[in-house]
Amino acid sequence: MIERTNPLPAAADAAVISFTLNGEPVRLAVPPARRLIDVLRHDLLLTGTKIGCEIGRCGACMVLVDGRPVNACLTMMYQLEGRRVTTIEGLAGGAEALHAVQRAFLEEGGFQCGYCTPGMIVSAAALLAERPDPTDDEIVEALSGNLCRCTGYGGILRAVRRAVAIGREADGTG
Amino acid sequence: MVMAFGTPGRDPEVLRPRDPAEACRMKAALGAEGVFVAGGTLLRTQWESGAAKMPGALIDLTALPALDGIAEEAGALVIGPLVRLSDLVRSEPVAAGFPLLAEAVRRIGAPSIRNLATIGGNVASRTGDALTALLVYDAELIWRTERRTETMRLEDWLADPGAGEGFRLLAGIRLKRAGAAAGGRAGRIAGGFRKLGRREAFIPALVTVAVLGRLTEDGTLAGVRVAAGGGSAVPSRLRAAEAVIEGARVSPETLVRLGEAVAGEYRPASDAFAGAEYRRRAAANLIAAEWFTLCAPDRKEGEHDPDP
Amino acid sequence: MILTRETAGGRWRIRPDGPGKVTGRLKYLTDLALPGMLHGVVLRSAHPHARIRAIRTERAAALPGVRAVLTHRDVPGLNAFGISRQDQPVFCSDRVRYVGDAVAAVAADTPEIAERALGLIEVDYEPLPVLDTPEKALSPDALKLHPHGNVLHRSEYRRGDVDAAFAECVHVVEETYVTPRQMHTYLETEGGLFVPEPDGRLTVYAPTQHGLLDRLQLARILGVPEEAIRVVSSPIGGSFGGKDELNIQPYGALLARATGRPVKIHHSRRESVRAGLKRHPMRITMKTGIDASGRLLAHRVRIVADTGPYATLGAEVLNFATEHVIGPYRYANLDVEGVSVYTNNGMSGEFRGFGGNQAIFALEGQMDRLAELAGIDPWEFRLINLRRMGDPGPFGQQIAQTDGAYQVWVKLKESPLWRERDSLKRAGEASASAQSGGAARPPWIRTGIGAAMVMHGFGLGYGIPDPAAGRLRLAEDGRIEAIFGYEEFGQGLFAAIEALMIDTFGIGPDDLRIVVGDTDRVPDSGSSTASRTTAMIWQALRRMEQPFRRKLLEAAARLTGRAAGGLTLAPGGVADAESGVLLIRYADLAAKAEETIGAQVHFHFPTTDLERIGAHFLYSYAAVAVKVEVNLLTGRVRVLDQYHAVAAGPVVNPMGYVGQIEGGSGMALGFALLEDAVMENGHYLTGNLDTYLIPTIADSRGTVAVEPVEELPEGDPYGPRGIGEIGSVGLAPAIAEAIHEATGVRVSRLPVDPALLIRRPEDLWKAVDGR
Repeated sequence: MIERTNPLPAAADAAVISFTLNGEPVRLAVPPARRLIDVLRHDLLLTGTKIGCEIGRCGACMVLVDGRPVNACLTMMYQLEGRRVTTIEGLAGGAEALHAVQRAFLEEGGFQCGYCTPGMIVSAAALLAERPDPTDDEIVEALSGNLCRCTGYGGILRAVRRAVAIGREADGTG
Repeated sequence: MVMAFGTPGRDPEVLRPRDPAEACRMKAALGAEGVFVAGGTLLRTQWESGAAKMPGALIDLTALPALDGIAEEAGALVIGPLVRLSDLVRSEPVAAGFPLLAEAVRRIGAPSIRNLATIGGNVASRTGDALTALLVYDAELIWRTERRTETMRLEDWLADPGAGEGFRLLAGIRLKRAGAAAGGRAGRIAGGFRKLGRREAFIPALVTVAVLGRLTEDGTLAGVRVAAGGGSAVPSRLRAAEAVIEGARVSPETLVRLGEAVAGEYRPASDAFAGAEYRRRAAANLIAAEWFTLCAPDRKEGEHDPDP
Repeated sequence: MILTRETAGGRWRIRPDGPGKVTGRLKYLTDLALPGMLHGVVLRSAHPHARIRAIRTERAAALPGVRAVLTHRDVPGLNAFGISRQDQPVFCSDRVRYVGDAVAAVAADTPEIAERALGLIEVDYEPLPVLDTPEKALSPDALKLHPHGNVLHRSEYRRGDVDAAFAECVHVVEETYVTPRQMHTYLETEGGLFVPEPDGRLTVYAPTQHGLLDRLQLARILGVPEEAIRVVSSPIGGSFGGKDELNIQPYGALLARATGRPVKIHHSRRESVRAGLKRHPMRITMKTGIDASGRLLAHRVRIVADTGPYATLGAEVLNFATEHVIGPYRYANLDVEGVSVYTNNGMSGEFRGFGGNQAIFALEGQMDRLAELAGIDPWEFRLINLRRMGDPGPFGQQIAQTDGAYQVWVKLKESPLWRERDSLKRAGEASASAQSGGAARPPWIRTGIGAAMVMHGFGLGYGIPDPAAGRLRLAEDGRIEAIFGYEEFGQGLFAAIEALMIDTFGIGPDDLRIVVGDTDRVPDSGSSTASRTTAMIWQALRRMEQPFRRKLLEAAARLTGRAAGGLTLAPGGVADAESGVLLIRYADLAAKAEETIGAQVHFHFPTTDLERIGAHFLYSYAAVAVKVEVNLLTGRVRVLDQYHAVAAGPVVNPMGYVGQIEGGSGMALGFALLEDAVMENGHYLTGNLDTYLIPTIADSRGTVAVEPVEELPEGDPYGPRGIGEIGSVGLAPAIAEAIHEATGVRVSRLPVDPALLIRRPEDLWKAVDGR
C-alpha cells in the first residue's frame, strides 16, 4: 500500500494488488481505484465479463468476489487485495467443463443474444452455491440485479430451476 | 511477475487511514479533494452521471476494522457503519430485534449492490431507505471527530446535520432494545416496513414507510411510531399520523384523518416520474395498510419479540 | 398445444451458438481488440437545437496521445447517412438538431486521453428555440429543421364516407392514445473495431441488421467503392431494430482511415441513450362507430408521430402504423391520416413492431370501449367484425390468405385464461380474488383479465427493395455451407438455419457450417428486419433444395458407381437410400468432386399487387390474454399470467419460437407499465438504466403460455410466417383491458400512470370492509 505522510493527492500511481483470479494468484500494478471491469476487459482481455451501464444497474459485468456476486464496474482494484475473484471464464473450473447452470441455460434456452448471459449465470451459480434448492422467490431475488432484454426471463427462470434439478441428480437425491 | 496497467492520474488515489482520527485529519487536509469511501456504489453512480466530480483522493474507511461488525451492548445493538448491507440482512440479532431494518435493507438495490454497499453509506446519504426503519427504532448515531466521540439521535441529525467542528465520521448506529424504548411489557411490539418503487425490484424508493407500535388488548396500537421517506426526501417521523393511530381503530373517519395528517406533514420530493400528490397518497395508504394488517385479528407478519 | 421443451420433444435443440454464449468465450464485436489500436470517441451536441458558429480543435489535437481529431471538414464523401433518406449529418457543420448530433470525433492511444481531448474541443453554439413537441414543430412560425420543413412524411387512407356513416352509428367512441419513447435497451451498446487492411481495404467489425447496406452507406461517406469495405456484423448483443441504422460506424471508419490504425469505439450507456434510436412516441386519436348489432360502420384515425431530428425509417414506420390502425377488422368507411414530424427530441426510428405497437394499442382500446358501450363481450365483439379467409388486407389489397385471425380468436376463446375470466365474471370480484390468489390476498389487490388481437404484416411491403438470397456449397473440407446475408442478434438465426438444413436435407449438425454476417462472403439476402429472416431462409432453401441435392447425389453417384436414384443424403455423407449404409463421406466427396457443388438463389420478398408503398402481402396473427393485479394502495400493476395464440405457419425452431413470443411480450410489458425515455426541453431525463427502467425478473414472474397455430391453407407456398415482432405488440392493449376489468379505469396513455389507479385511504376502507 501507498504510505503518505502528506495526504495531498498526487498522480494516482500504480499500486501492486495481489489477488486470486479464477484460481490463479495474480499480482497487478494498477492505479488502486481502477475499476475491475477495465482490468478484466481492457488489461487482461477477459471479455467474457460484459459491460452495459457502468453503474451496477444491468448486471452484465457480474463476477464473484469470495464467492459473492458483485458488479465489476463498481469494484475498485484496491478492494480486491487478498480476495478471490471468479469470472465466467473460471466458473466451471476447466476449459471444456460446463457448470450445471451453464448446461441448464443451454438446454432450456435461457439466453438469446447472450450478452447478459455470463453475468446472469454468475449470479445464478452464486445462488446455488449458497442454496442448492432455492425457492422461486429466492431465484428471483438473486437475479434481480441482472437485466435481460431478449428472453423476458421465462427461459432464465426455467434454466435455474433445471440447474437445481441437475444438482439434485448429481447429489443422488433427485 | 507483476503486470502493470492503467493510465496514471485518471483515477483518484486511495488513502488508508490508521484510525478514525487520522481519517478525519485526512478529510480536513483534503477538503473537497478527499472523499470518504466504503463500498463506493453511490459514488460511482454520481461520478458516472456527473452529479459529483471524481475527487483527487479516496479515504478508504475499510482500513478501519473497528467500524465494522455488529456488537451487543447493554440494552442495545451497535451496528458498525462498514457492515455490508448483505451482512446486515443475514444478521440474526438484527432480524430478531429489528426486523423492519432487515426488511428495509433487503429491498435496497440488488444482491450484488448489497454485497458492496454499507449501512454507513446508506445512512450518510441522508435519503437511504434504511433511515425510515431506523427512525421508528429511534436509532442513535455515534460520530467520531478528530478528538472525541459524540452521540446524536438519528432524528435530530436528519432534521439538522449541523456543521460541527472539523470533520466527523460515522462510527456506529445504536439501536436500543425495543422493550426499553417502548417502556412496557404489556403487549408485543409489532411493525412493518413498506416500500414503493417504479418497478418490482432493484429500484430506488418513491415512498418508504415504517410503522411500529405495541399491540394492546383491545386490538389497537400504543406507543406508535411512524416514519416515511423515499426519493430525494429526507425521511422523517410523522407525529400527526402517529397521533391518529395511537389507540384508535381503523375506520372510514380515522382513515380520512390519517390521510390529512400524512398530507400535512409528509414532504415528499416530486420528480419527472412521480408527483408529490401521488407519493403523499401512497404513503398514507401504505401506512393505513400496515395499521390495518397489524391490528387485524389474523395478523401473522410483522410481529417481533421485544427482547430476544 | 402449448409449446414447451417437453411438448417440442426432439425438435427442441441446443442452439449452435449456445456454448460460446454460456461460457463467455464468444467474442462479440465490441470485445475485439488489436495491438496498437486506438480508442475513438464522439463529441455530441451540447444543445438540442443550435447554430454552430465555430469549431476549434487545435487544443485537442495538441494533446499528447491524440492521433486524430475529425470534424465535418474531414468527410471525404457524403457527409450524411440514413437508410431511406440521407438527411442525418455524419458531422454537423452549421447546425445541431438534437443532443445526439455528432460535432467531432477523436482517436487517441487510450480511452482516457480520448475523453480528455473531447473536453478540449471548443464549439461556439448559438442556441435556437427547441421544438420539443410535434405541435410546436408544426406551428407556422416554427423554424424549419430541414429545407423542406418539419414534416417528414404524411400518409392517408380513405374508403367510403365516414361522416355519413357516423350519422348512422348507435355508439361512437372517441379517444386519444399516447405512447412512450421506448428504448431498445440492447444490453450490448453500440460499438466495434475498424481495421485498415494492408491492401488498402477497411474491415468494419460492428453490429448491424444489414451488413451490405452499411457497406453501401459507408462507401458513400468515405468516397470509396463498396468493394473497398468489408463489414463483419455478427454476433450482436441485441438490436430489436436499434442497430439497423448506422451509429458509430461512420466515426470508426473515418478515424481508422485518418490514422491508418485500428480504432475501437464502444458507447457508454449514457451516450447510447443520447445518440441512439427510440420507438416513435405517437399520439393517435380515433373515432369509431358501430350500429346496434355491434358492426363497425366508421373509423377515423389521426396519427401524429414524433420522429426526432432526422428521417432514418420514420416514414416507413408511419406507413406501417397507418396500415395497422385498421387491423384485422371489417369496416365500410375509413378515414386515416398520419403525419411524422421532425422535432429536436431524440431520434425515433425502427423498433420491433415498427409502429404496430402504437397503432394496435389504440385500435384494440377502441374495440374494448365499443364492446362495453354496446354491452357485448369484448371478445365476441371482435368476432362480429373480424376478417375471414378471403377478405382483402387492411388497404383492400390482395394478401396471402390464411384463416389466422379466426384461428387465434378461437384458440384464445378456448384458453384456460379466458375461461377463468368468464368464471371470474360470473363469480364476481370478491370471491374471485380469493379463488385466484388464495385466501392470503389482501383486499386492496384487484385482478382482471383482458385480451387483444394482432394482425401484423411482415417483410418491408410493396415498393421497397426487399431482396432475398441464399447460397449452399460443399466446402473443401466437406462441410456443407449455408450462406446467408442475415445477422444473428439473438433471435436464433443459427438455430433456425440449422433446423431447416437438417429437416430439409437430412444431414447432421456436424456436417453444417453456417456463414452469415460478412459482406465478403454472403449474397444480398436483404435486411434482418421486419420478421422476415426465417421465412426467407425457408423460401430460399425450398428453391435450392432440389438442385443442391441433385448435384450432391450425382457427384456421389459418379464416385461410387451407383445410380443417383438409389442414394440419399445422411448425417456424415451420402448413403444408400435403402439400407442407410454410408457410401461416401462429405469430406471425400468434396476432395474428389471435379467441380464445386453448390446452389444459389436470388428472389424478391413476395409482395401484394396494390401499388401502395409499404402495403403488406404476408401477415401473422396473434391473440393475447393477460391477467393482471392492481394494488389500490399504490396504483401499481403486476402482470400475472399470459396466453398467446400465434398463427404463423409451421414452427421452425421451437426454442426460438417460444423465446421470441416470451421475449417480445417482456418488451411489451415494459412498454405498457415501465418504460419511457422522458425528455425535457430536448434533453433526456433518463440517462442510464437507473432511471430508464426495463423489467427485471421480479416484474416478469407470471406464466407465459405460447400456443402456435401451424396449419396453413392447402397449397400455401409461403411457409413459416414471421414471429420476431408479433409477440411485442398485443400485450399492452390486453393489459389496459385487464386493468379496466380490475378497477373500472380506462387507460389511454402508456406507460400506465399508477396515479390513475391509486385510491384514497378512506376508499380503501370500502375495499377492506367489503371483503
